[in-house]
Parts: sequence; C-alpha cells; structure tokens
Amino acid sequence: MAQATTEQRTRLEQQPKPKKNIFVRFLKQWDIQLMVWPGILLIFVFAYLPMYGILTSFMDYNIFTGGNIWANPWVGFKHFQMFFDSPEFYNVMRNTIVISLLKFVIGFPAPIILALMLNEIRHMMFKRIVQTVTYLPHFMSWVIVAGLVMSMLSTENGSVNMLLKSVNMIDEPINFLSMKEYFWSILISANVWKEIGFGSIVYLAAISGVDPHLYEAADIDGASKFKQIYLITIPTIMPVVIIFMILSIGNLLNAGFEDILLLANNPVLRPVSDVIDTYVYRVGLSNFRYSYATAVGLFKAVISIGLLTMANYIARRSGNSLW
Amino acid sequence: MTKARKTTMLIVSAILVLATVLAGCSSDSKNKPSPSPSSNATNTPSNNPEEPASDVWEFGSEALEFSMYGHYSWYDVPAWDSTVAGRWLKENKKLNITPISAGGNPEQKLSTMIASKSLPDVMWMDRGADVERLREAGQLVAFDDYLDKYPNLKTWMGKDLNLLRSSDGKLYQFPNWYTGRANGNAGYVINKKIYDELGQPKLETTDDLYNYLVAVKAKYGDTVVPFDPDLAKDSQGLGVLYTAFKENASYTHLHANVRAVPQGDNLTSLFTDPTFREAQKYIAKLYREKLITQDAFTQTRDQIEERIMQGRVAVYAGANPTVVAMNAHQEMVKKDPESGYFMIWPIHKEGLDKNKIFPGTYTALGWNVNVITKAAKDPEKIFAFLDWYTGPEGQSLLFFGPEGKNWKGFDSEGHPIFTDDYNAEEVLELQKAHDPIMWNGNTGFIDPAKMKYESKLPAHEQNWAARYQSEITWPTQSNATEFINLVPQPDSELGIVKQRVDDIYTQAYAQSVMAKDDAEVESILDKAEKDAQAAGYGELLEWRTVEWKKNIEIIAGG
Amino acid sequence: MARLGFSDKLMMIFIYVFLIVLSFSAFYPFWNALVVSFNLGIDTTKGGVTFWPRVFTLENYQIVFKDDRLINGFFVSVSRTVVGTITAILMTAILAYGMTRRELIGRNYFMFFFVFTMYFGGGLIPSYLLISSLGLMNKFLVFIIPALISVWNMIIFRTFFKSLPLGLEESAQIDGATNWGIFFRIVLPLSGPVIATLSLFTAVAHWNDWFTPSIYITNENLIPIQTMLRQILNANIVTDMASNMDTASIARLDQMRTITTKSLTMATMMVATLPIVMVYPFVQKYFVKGVLIGSLKE
Repeated sequence: MAQATTEQRTRLEQQPKPKKNIFVRFLKQWDIQLMVWPGILLIFVFAYLPMYGILTSFMDYNIFTGGNIWANPWVGFKHFQMFFDSPEFYNVMRNTIVISLLKFVIGFPAPIILALMLNEIRHMMFKRIVQTVTYLPHFMSWVIVAGLVMSMLSTENGSVNMLLKSVNMIDEPINFLSMKEYFWSILISANVWKEIGFGSIVYLAAISGVDPHLYEAADIDGASKFKQIYLITIPTIMPVVIIFMILSIGNLLNAGFEDILLLANNPVLRPVSDVIDTYVYRVGLSNFRYSYATAVGLFKAVISIGLLTMANYIARRSGNSLW
Repeated sequence: MTKARKTTMLIVSAILVLATVLAGCSSDSKNKPSPSPSSNATNTPSNNPEEPASDVWEFGSEALEFSMYGHYSWYDVPAWDSTVAGRWLKENKKLNITPISAGGNPEQKLSTMIASKSLPDVMWMDRGADVERLREAGQLVAFDDYLDKYPNLKTWMGKDLNLLRSSDGKLYQFPNWYTGRANGNAGYVINKKIYDELGQPKLETTDDLYNYLVAVKAKYGDTVVPFDPDLAKDSQGLGVLYTAFKENASYTHLHANVRAVPQGDNLTSLFTDPTFREAQKYIAKLYREKLITQDAFTQTRDQIEERIMQGRVAVYAGANPTVVAMNAHQEMVKKDPESGYFMIWPIHKEGLDKNKIFPGTYTALGWNVNVITKAAKDPEKIFAFLDWYTGPEGQSLLFFGPEGKNWKGFDSEGHPIFTDDYNAEEVLELQKAHDPIMWNGNTGFIDPAKMKYESKLPAHEQNWAARYQSEITWPTQSNATEFINLVPQPDSELGIVKQRVDDIYTQAYAQSVMAKDDAEVESILDKAEKDAQAAGYGELLEWRTVEWKKNIEIIAGG
Repeated sequence: MARLGFSDKLMMIFIYVFLIVLSFSAFYPFWNALVVSFNLGIDTTKGGVTFWPRVFTLENYQIVFKDDRLINGFFVSVSRTVVGTITAILMTAILAYGMTRRELIGRNYFMFFFVFTMYFGGGLIPSYLLISSLGLMNKFLVFIIPALISVWNMIIFRTFFKSLPLGLEESAQIDGATNWGIFFRIVLPLSGPVIATLSLFTAVAHWNDWFTPSIYITNENLIPIQTMLRQILNANIVTDMASNMDTASIARLDQMRTITTKSLTMATMMVATLPIVMVYPFVQKYFVKGVLIGSLKE
C-alpha cells in the first residue's frame, strides 16, 4: 500500500504541468514559497556567505590577514599538486576508499537488519530494552571506546586473547592492535557496534508506517516471516533506505577520523590506517598549512558531489531521489 | 579585614622586608631585592619609602585585570576565585584574571582568534612555532624594557634567558619551570617483591637487565610483565634504554625536535648512528622474546597504572615513572611492607662509566612559556605580576599557601620559614589545587625550598618520589638546553621536510622494535635512512647543526 | 497469531540470541562506567572493578557537583537542547514540507542549493568572521540560529512526508484548507514517528555539540558540559606532545594532566550523558504501528 502511494506520487510528478507565465504561477503559490524562503535565507547566510574561504585553497593563505583574503598571493593549483605528489598519496587514497567502502557495505545495512529484527519482536518490554541499550554506545566518546577496545584486545590479560587461549585456538596471545591484517576488521567492528542502535532508529520510525493489517493478511495466507519481511516491511522502508544510501555514497571519502586516530595507536599501522582526514590533520591543521587543508577539503567535496549526483541519477529510476 | 589582622600584617610585613633584603643580598648581590610582599599597601603607605623613585609599577598598588588563555586541549585557565591563591590575590593584590576558554580545541580556537584579531592578553603555550609565528606577525610584546625594573626573572634565570630570545634579539617569552638545576624523573623502577624473590641479583648493566628479565619470565610466566616501557610511542622507557648504550647519550636525541646525534661538529642522522642501532637491536630482542610487553605501542595509561598497582610489572621504565610508582608503592606497602617499588641507578652497557649515563634530560628553559600580546592594555603591569609570581613570594604562595599559616618570612638563604602550624597534608592539597595556575614555576627556588622540608623528615616519612629524586633521578638527568629551538617553521620548506622525517621515524621506530632479527632491524633503519634522505633529512640536519652551534655559543658566551 | 513454522522458529531463536548478545555488549561498558564512577578512585586503578563497585563512594559525584562550572554547564546544555530542538524541528519541517510540494517553482534547484552545502563549506575562519560580525559571539543564540536548518533532517522529513497518502492533502485542498493549514493540521499530526526521531537526532546533536562552544564561546558561563567533558577526556589522550619534550617537562606535564582520576572522569561522563540517554524511551512510544492508518479511516 505504501508502495502504491509512492508510485502514485511519482506518476503525478511526471505529469506535464500546464505552462503559464512563471511570474503568475509564483505569485499564486506565494504561501508555499514562503515555507522555503526562510530556510533558503538561513542557508545562504550561514553556508554560502563564508564560501569565499574556498578560494584560499588557490592561495598561500596567511592567517594574520584574517578576512582580507585578497591580501594573499595566488598560487594556482600548488596545494593540490603537493597533495597528489606526496609520497603518502596513494596509500592515503587507498585506505580512504577501502575503509569507507567497508563501512558502507557492513555499516550501512547493519542498522536496517537490527530494525527488521526488532520489528519481529512481539514482547514489547524486551524490544524497548534492547532498543534503548543498543543505542547507548553512540554516547560514549571515541576515547572511551578506544580504551575499551585496547583493554579487550590486549596481549596481557585481554579478554579476547584469554578466550581464544582457553578454547585452545591459540598458544600465544595475538597482538591484534599491532598487526596490519586485523586493523580494518577491528575498526569496522567497533564502528558498527557503536552506531548500530542509533542508526536503526530512523528505520524503526519508517517501519511504524506499515499497516498492521498487511501482516495479519499475510499470516492468514501462511506467508513465512522471511516473506513478510521481504514483501511488506522492506518495501515500506525502501524510500528511506534509498535516500540514506544516496547520502552515504556521497560520503564515501569520509572514512572517519577520531576512531582511526585513536585505534591506530601503533605507528606500524599507518600504512593501512592513514586516511585523508587523519593525514590532513597531521600535516595541515597542526602545522598551520591552512591552504593545503582547504585544498584537500575541496578535492574531497568535488568528488563527493560527483558521487552523489551519480547515485542520485541511478536512484531516480526507483522514484526516490534527492532532486 | 579586622584591626587585629591589620596590625599583624604590619608586623609581618616589617619582618618580611628585612628577610627579603637579606635574601636578595645572599642570592645575587648585583640585583636589588624583589619588592616585598608586604608592600601591597592595603593601606600602609609607610612601606613606600623603600620604593625606588623610578617608574616601577608596584604589583598590587592598583587594580589589575587581564584575560588569559591556555593553548592546550586538556587545559583551561580556572575561574580566578576558584583557588586559594586566586582568591588571596584578588583580595590582597586587586588582581583579577578573566579566563578565555580553549574549549578542548586549541588549534582552531587560536586560529580564529588570530584571524579575527581578538587575541587574549596573555597566552600560556609551548615554546616554538606558534610563538614565533605570532612574533613575526608583530602580535607579541617584548619584555626587554621590563627586565631590569622587575628583576626576579633575570635573577633566577640568569644568562639562560638569552636562549629564549627570538631571532630579532628580543625577549618575548616568560618561561615556566626554568632552572639551572638538574630535575626530572626518568629512570627505572623495580618491583621489590619480585626482586627479593629472585635473590636480589646485580642489576647494573644491560646484560644484567636482560638476564633478570629472562629470570622473571621463567619464574612468573604470563602473570608478570618483565619490562614495561610506558607509552613506547612517545619513546618513554625505550628512549631511556637507548641512553644505556653510550656515555652521554641523550634521551633528547630521539625527540621530534632533534632527531639527530651530535658527532664532532655536526648533527648527524639518527638512523645511521651505531648506538641507536645497537639499542634498537637490544630492544627488539627483548620485545621478540616477550620480555617487553607486547602492548608497548598500544597500551593506555589506565592499563599501565593498573598493572603497576597490582604489582604485575618487574621493571618499569619511562620518562616519568615516579608518579604512578609512588601511588602504587603507597598502596602496596599498606598490605605488605615488603612489597612496593624502588628505583635503581640507570642501566649501562658493560664497560661504560655508569656516572656518564643519563636516562633523562632537562633544559634550562623548562617546559612552556607565557607571552603577552599586543592586545594587552598594560603589558608592563602584567609583566610586573608575572615577575612577582615567579619570585619567592609568588612561589611560596602557590606551594605553601598565603603567608602566615604554613610559612612566615624567608630565611637567610631565601627559603620560606615554615611555622609550627605547618600542615603537610594541607600543603599537598594546595599544590594539587594550584597546579593549574602555576604558569611560571621557578624550579631553582622551589625545589630547594621543598627539599628543606623533606630532608628534615626521617627516611620512611620522606615522600617516595622526593627521596629518589634526590638520590637518583636528579643526579642522572642531563642538561639538553643546547638542543632547543631546532624546529623549523612548520609551513616552510624545511618544516615540510621535518614532518616527513617525523613520519618516517615514527614508523621505522616501531617497526624496528618489532623486527624479527638483527638483520631486519638493520634493513628497516637502512630503508628509513634512504627515505629520509630522499625527503630532505640532510638539509634539515645541516640547518639544525647551524642552529645548534648558535645555542652552544649563547650558552658559553652568555 | 498464526503458528510459527519451523524455519520461523529458528529465525526467532536466532534473533533473540543475537539481540541479547548485542544488548549485553552495549550495556556492559556503560554499566561499568557507572560502577567505576561510584568506586573510589585509587581503588579503581587496581583494576578488576566490573559489575559492582568494590569500594563504594559518592565522592566522585560530590566533586562533580561541587564544581560550579559543571553545574552551570549542565544547565547551558539543557537549555540549548530544549530551545534548539523545538526551533530547529519547526523550521526544518516547514521547509521540508514546502520542498515536497511538486508545484513549487524551482524545487530541484533549491534542492541542489541545499545539498551542495553538505559538502562545500568555506572553512572555519570565514564562518567565524561571519558569526562575529553578526554579533553572535558569546551569545546563547549562537547555539540556536545557525542550527535552525539541518539539510540532512530536511531530507529525511521530506522523504517521510512524501510517503504520506496524497489523498489527504488533496481532499483538504478541496475543502478549502490553505497550504499552511494542511501542514499544521494534517501533515504534522500524521508525522509522529518522524518528528520524534528527528527531535531525538536534533536533541542529541545539540547536547553532544562541543565544537560550537569551543570556538564561539569564551565566556565560561555559556560553556556546555560536553565541552568540559571533552577537555577532561583529552587529558587522557596521548598526543604527540610528549615526543618533543625533555623528560623533566614530561614530568611537569604529567603532573598537570593526572589531576583527574578515571572514576572522576566517569562520573563526569555520566552526568554529561545520562540526561540525553533518558530521552529515547520517551521517543519510542511514537513508533507505534498503524498510527497513520488509523487516522486515514476516521
């Protein structure tokens, strides 16, 4: 049913609109325009006005010039060139892409699955407790989570090594946090664990739009749980899922920052842990290379908007797109 | 203020004036005594004749108010009347300090304050790049005109002050914990119980240490960590081990700000240094045989502290192992007087002179600095306060509380005279509470003053840390003042080189510790040398050599 | 309810087991932090404090609540969260509803105009100069006004609004309701779950935001508790600092940094997170199935 509404709406949207003078039409819908203009103005002031700062990525920005950025010399693409030419570039890009793809492939569906599981629980008290409890880790700062991961994976009485040892899977403790091959798994697991509950909230809200009669009807038809999820629940939340997917694809270059900084304590992990944001932090912000940091940010933004447009284009066919 | 108290103040003041005059003469006859604490003139104009007729501004004579900012992610200037000293200064010296919060985000905060031209009056920060950048932009106030008028800093720091001068020859930085005396806590802490159970073997050379660690491992297996190097990522205990392999080798050679070894007239590559290589092979052997905790590079302070507290570490080394070890010692001896920790004389390689091994370093310039910005309305008055603060009165106020309770006046050596009411516990509390406002600690003054009290106590009542400081750590810390200011501007060509070299070093350091055998240590360091040279390490070393020689000249010439 | 088939039973068992394991793993660290916050600091450093305090004390909380700044910060957090959430949700919902209307001229351009800002920004310094020239520095409003519109939330709102049955709006229109009337009297009442969700998201974002105050507030009376907590936690982060210092300075630095024990840190964390954590159970009651359907049948 919900699916039907979406389709109906899509059809309506595609109907050719009567062509009238745009000015007349604008005046006629002044009340709707009034709904969006305050937002447009706010965004214009707080997001667009400061955007001249982007220009500093083509300059050697000296912070003492403050807002008078025209006092700085133009250097063209120097900072971009420096980023592309730096010996770390290849590694940093690879890690960024791999880590964010992993986060996307595993971290994106995880909260949806949790929401679907919770939807199957009939015991309301249990459901509420699980919901509340799984959402707790979101509120722990990464410093605390990293400390926890470190003590769990420690070679000296870390619980994971103790467990593996007690079931005779290993003889010697494994130094998880100093071995490159484990880093990505540790990072992704910690992320999923931390955000799964919080991420599932919006899907739970979407699921609450399902007409319970549909389940009843399906039960009478003898459809299995799997089938019900597949045929009823998932189609209902699909619009939300698709929108979130588009947005996540646009975020593919944001592989993380604090989590990586705090979990990759051992410098030997750097070849697998260094991502754009940690790299820029190390060489840019803490060393006053503002233009460099801005240039890398701009590079990220251009790619992100490209990815987003692509994802949006593909999603258009399903009738759920951003624009 | 009651009348009785006023009278007491007057008497005390009179005594103090005398005491300070005496103290001033004995410590440095060339300088006139610091303004006495009593001349705060809460309404005692009679004190004024002592004042020289110059335009010296007397701290406390008029109200002073300024804003202050600490450039650290973990620190904010506390509310001024939240501390005993702050309240006292507000009431008695009309001083009020407005804190500017860094909000845990100092880099960005400072950037925005610079860009919007709204700097605070005083900033408390690390020496080096940030300060230099502000100075170059003309944002800082030079202190040269004030130095003679307000002489405490000059008196206590002496010619080392010249090392703080910027390239234009002027002084912009007011140092914190500057000192001419050796200080610091780096060294080795030993678990007493384990040591006793293993028959108190000789523990002097690197071979002794190795054998001891092997014995620990054999006897206690996984339950005890033989060697805990603290946070190895920051050098710490492993850097301490490095100094065992060469006489006069310095912990500072491994610093991000130095990363070089002096050889004759030049600073040379760390990666090719035979001592460094030998040390790395030794460390790698310990790590490989699991004599060093495998968590060395990843562990957190909590984990370390927990292990030390439980007595599960045989040897604990670090840049500052004493705080954790002292707390653990005190807890452990409560249950078992035979347990606890003690410190040993630093380990050395067989054949070296143990009196030339220095596991830690200090510099005459101390830890960090205060700078006064051009935003300040009355920079001279602020300087007058800072100078008062670092002098005997200010320091005694911070360490022992307002005058009258725990101390009264100064003795002939200029140390505070402790009263019969001296309350050791209260003093400890005060010091803890005042830590966040100790902006310009004067080690040369306060350490002997503290020792004066400590040394009167019987050995078992002496503070654990204080005892080992006087017996072991202070005599074995070397002066690394010649290696300061070797950091190029971060956004310059050399600054970018430094950044690359640091990256290469940090990785190679951890890799070589985790190497499979000696040959791998060699090859990792060879590769690091090659990469570093390609990144421009050679030029960086050349530049550092020049700067280093300048330092030596200043130190020698003074 | 119909009887479950074998595979359904198996699936339910798996779901229960999985949820219990996940819940425990999520709950334990929080519980442990709570336990540690009620345990004596020096005893905590010995380790082994897990499910229950070993040396119970209220000392840590006494210290937290003795500090005027933390109490004050707590109230700053509460007020900005309440005011910020109500205003932002209202503004964003209105915008989102306008953006769902297909006849809106320039709708696709507007959308791109908004989405663009999710990726492109001028950076901190221009924003700072803007905020200070607007006179928002050290003002409570700096928490509220720039956060009125969240593009992200607008997109979610819009997605949900779009899935509302179109018929409702159309029949209302025929009945002569204005667009604003439709929004307030039909759309909003039907959007319980999404309003609840986004209010929660917004409240959490407001509550957890340490960054805005760290930059735009210097007056300590307006610093929220999260910014303070962050500072306390920062003291435990190992930065590169120690690697460029001589050992004597490291000793001074340690002395400065170790003033907060783990127990005290945890107590502060509890004070800084529990209030916002408690909001969720209240939000859950809006996730009831069939809200929408019921209203359709009326």
